[in-house]
Amino acid sequence: MAQQANHPLPGGHKLEEYTIDRQLSLGGFSIVYLAKNTEGMQVAIKEYLPNSLALRGKGDIKPVISEDHLGAFRYGMKCFFEEGRALAKLSHPNVIRVLNFFRANETVYMVMEYERGQTLQEFIHRHHGHVSERFIRGVFTRMLNGLREVHSHKLLHLDLKPSNVYLRADNSPVLIDFGAARQTLASDQPVLKPMYTPGFASPEHYGSRKDLGPWSDIYSVGASMYACLAGVPPLAADERLKRDTLTPAMVRWEGQFSDRLLEIIDWCLNLNHLYRPQSVFALQKALVADIHPPKNTPKDGWIGRFVNKFRSPSR
Amino acid sequence: MRFTIYQDSLKGGRENNEDRTTYCYSRDALMMVIADGMGGHHHGEIAAQIAVQSFANAFQGEAKPRLGDPFLFLQNGMKNAHRAILDYALSHRMGDSPRTTCVACVIQDNVAYWAHAGDSRLFLMRNGRVFAQTKDHSRIRLLVEEGLVSEAQAAHHPDRNKIYSCLGGPATPEIDFSRKTPLEHGDVLLLCTDGLWGVTSGEMMAVTLKEANLLQAMPMLMAQTEIKAGPHGDNLSAVAVRWEDNYVEALSSVISTQTMAMDEVTTRLDEFGRNPSYKSELSDEEIEAAIEEIRTAIDKYNPKK
Repeated sequence: MAQQANHPLPGGHKLEEYTIDRQLSLGGFSIVYLAKNTEGMQVAIKEYLPNSLALRGKGDIKPVISEDHLGAFRYGMKCFFEEGRALAKLSHPNVIRVLNFFRANETVYMVMEYERGQTLQEFIHRHHGHVSERFIRGVFTRMLNGLREVHSHKLLHLDLKPSNVYLRADNSPVLIDFGAARQTLASDQPVLKPMYTPGFASPEHYGSRKDLGPWSDIYSVGASMYACLAGVPPLAADERLKRDTLTPAMVRWEGQFSDRLLEIIDWCLNLNHLYRPQSVFALQKALVADIHPPKNTPKDGWIGRFVNKFRSPSR
Repeated sequence: MRFTIYQDSLKGGRENNEDRTTYCYSRDALMMVIADGMGGHHHGEIAAQIAVQSFANAFQGEAKPRLGDPFLFLQNGMKNAHRAILDYALSHRMGDSPRTTCVACVIQDNVAYWAHAGDSRLFLMRNGRVFAQTKDHSRIRLLVEEGLVSEAQAAHHPDRNKIYSCLGGPATPEIDFSRKTPLEHGDVLLLCTDGLWGVTSGEMMAVTLKEANLLQAMPMLMAQTEIKAGPHGDNLSAVAVRWEDNYVEALSSVISTQTMAMDEVTTRLDEFGRNPSYKSELSDEEIEAAIEEIRTAIDKYNPKK
């Protein structure tokens, strides 16, 4: 059966105390709307509506869920609840805030703060190849504050990537889309369908997933930083496990960014999770410690570069 | 039929697990079997596997969907398992045949029937107390019955593991049968090997399982027993069922056999008893509960400005 896109709720539609304005984004599992509450405050409403299981025709309000799909639909709802549970417990300026959660139209809705701005993904696209070190350090240090909060609640984000980092007008980052977040302690639950993005997902995402931990999110942080420099995501971890052709940041951008930053990126992107920073705190510490801006070394031949490296050790 | 069922087997401090468990049910009948391969003889796990396998096969063949005579079924099951073990020993030229204890229980029309050989036990628990239990075919049990040793002494008696009836031995097994026992709503039937009852007493387990969710309480009970038994503890296994009457609100873990076809049989037989992963459907109540939980968390952590 061909994949049909779900039709969004029409503008002006009343949903509890909110009025739908327009659709913000459409994903495989959900639709996000911009809406206003009764006081005129703008909010983002995420509607659980998996494409393959529930179908809403043009002009309809309630989606059609066939009898065979009801089980799977409800099962997926668990994941949606998981996201709600994860977010509801967090209150941090760098993590998206959940304002409300309700059930309507046979499905469930999560109301979140609406942030004006752009995703880091959009930013990278716009500034292709010209993202400054200062920007990277600034955004990631603050984003890691949010991630630390997430980890301190025994949660893992598990789907960190530039398109899940939202930048406000002042470039302060907000973590969004916790659709893959899981309570790390609830390991006895049946494993929910894995969700990850190639390039940003850690090697542990592909295996038995029993090794998932803070270091897995840290791999994704490293991959996101790598993507900031490269403009495109790094090679997917499963490909790297077969044959690692990823050029280390240290080799690829030597001299253009500080050695320390490039080292950190390579550190986060270690395939062996034990060799990565083991906690966000460790990574943050490294990121804010001794900043050595790259020296403007005159471009001489490869022998000169080689000799230079020995003459002035970077640290 | 409506019931909650749980089975698991832990290795304890041993190198391999010689316990075997199974349960099968059709629309109208439920069967549970547990077998403890005897360590003193070679290949106890083979004897145990043959015993549960033979019971499972018999049930699959006969329960369509009812068993004609549950007692006859149990008797034939025990005898056939015994012979199957001897045949196996003969065809594999084993000098000493492998042996196993065995307890089997059938529930049909809300009535329980059971039979056993050896020292694996069945406990019927009602309102947090042991209502009925099997009598081990062990020397120590005889001594206790004759009043020569007390229950407390029996727990540490050097002869406590010696049994005089088992499947697979040279002598015809002595098999004890229960009476027809009508079940009440909430009754728990627990079949277990000595690795479990030898460490945690039946009374203790009855208290633990009183009004508890078996799927939560049993893993805990088994894990605690395994720890208590220490690094040299025996294998421990259990099949436990909580009998639910028809008027109980639907719980996700309750099994209803009303929709099963007349000739359909569902079997759970673990090769080496590993973690069952229960699938649970999300009911309307659970959805409401989840939403309520999230809303409470929002109010708690992100109070409205």
